[in-house]
Amino acid sequence: MNQEELNNRLSEIKDKLINIEQTKDSRIFLLCEAENSFAVSKFLFEDLALRFMIATGIDSEDCFEILYHFSNDGTGCVVTVKAFIRDRENPSIESITPFIPAAEWIEREIYDILGIEIKNHPNMRRLILADDWPEGVYPLRKDFKR
Amino acid sequence: MSWKIWSLKKSVWVFHVNTGACNNCDIEIVNLLTPRYDVERFGIKLVGSPRHADALLVTGVVTAQAAPRLRELYRQTSKPCVVFAMGACACQTGIFNGAYHVVGPVDKIIREVDPNAIIAYVPGCPPKPEAMISGVVKALSIL
Repeated sequence: MNQEELNNRLSEIKDKLINIEQTKDSRIFLLCEAENSFAVSKFLFEDLALRFMIATGIDSEDCFEILYHFSNDGTGCVVTVKAFIRDRENPSIESITPFIPAAEWIEREIYDILGIEIKNHPNMRRLILADDWPEGVYPLRKDFKR
Repeated sequence: MSWKIWSLKKSVWVFHVNTGACNNCDIEIVNLLTPRYDVERFGIKLVGSPRHADALLVTGVVTAQAAPRLRELYRQTSKPCVVFAMGACACQTGIFNGAYHVVGPVDKIIREVDPNAIIAYVPGCPPKPEAMISGVVKALSIL
């Protein structure tokens, strides 16, 4: 799939997105609310056959962001789904592990160190912090004090 | 010189402990054991259990998860023993200073168990194999 086809296919899901930002030829950001991220990721993975690379969790003061990075290996273009989680008290997002098994560990890691609940994850346990780490303390949040 | 120290210096058997290193120091330690440096010709040998070891070769900043394990390893090492803190992280926590998962440099954790432990420091990120050999020689020559 070349760049032009990719851009055309991406416009099919415009109604689920807030905006499409293209910073350069090989970098596209799809901004969406957390409720739509499942459908957008599923479209990229199953309909466009992009490769899931990794996910990133960010605490950006007023909301949490989860970035799912997909690669179009034919052109080297990276498509990032940027999902905003507005609820800071009980942040949650739909798991993409049911159709992308490779996302299991990174979603567990995001749950562990950012405290974002991943809904419908098949194996939701802590992954990375020490065994005696206290519950409810999330080290990568901005308000974390050592 | 007591016979214990004499036998320790004769041929140092080493147990390698990774307490949260990035693997860079560990790669350099592999370099020591392979034919280019081949420290086994000096009697320095890697062993599989701390109970067989004369020295602990610790790489990496000590994480909260690894600290109890490092204490237990030190308790199980036959005494007298030397602890080598290899690399900037093991010596002084390096770039991870103040991070949420760090409980301290290697010497702090070892001194909690034994205040009189013999600890040698080899700084560097990672230290060169020559620096590691030099550190071992210096530590053993002042025992």
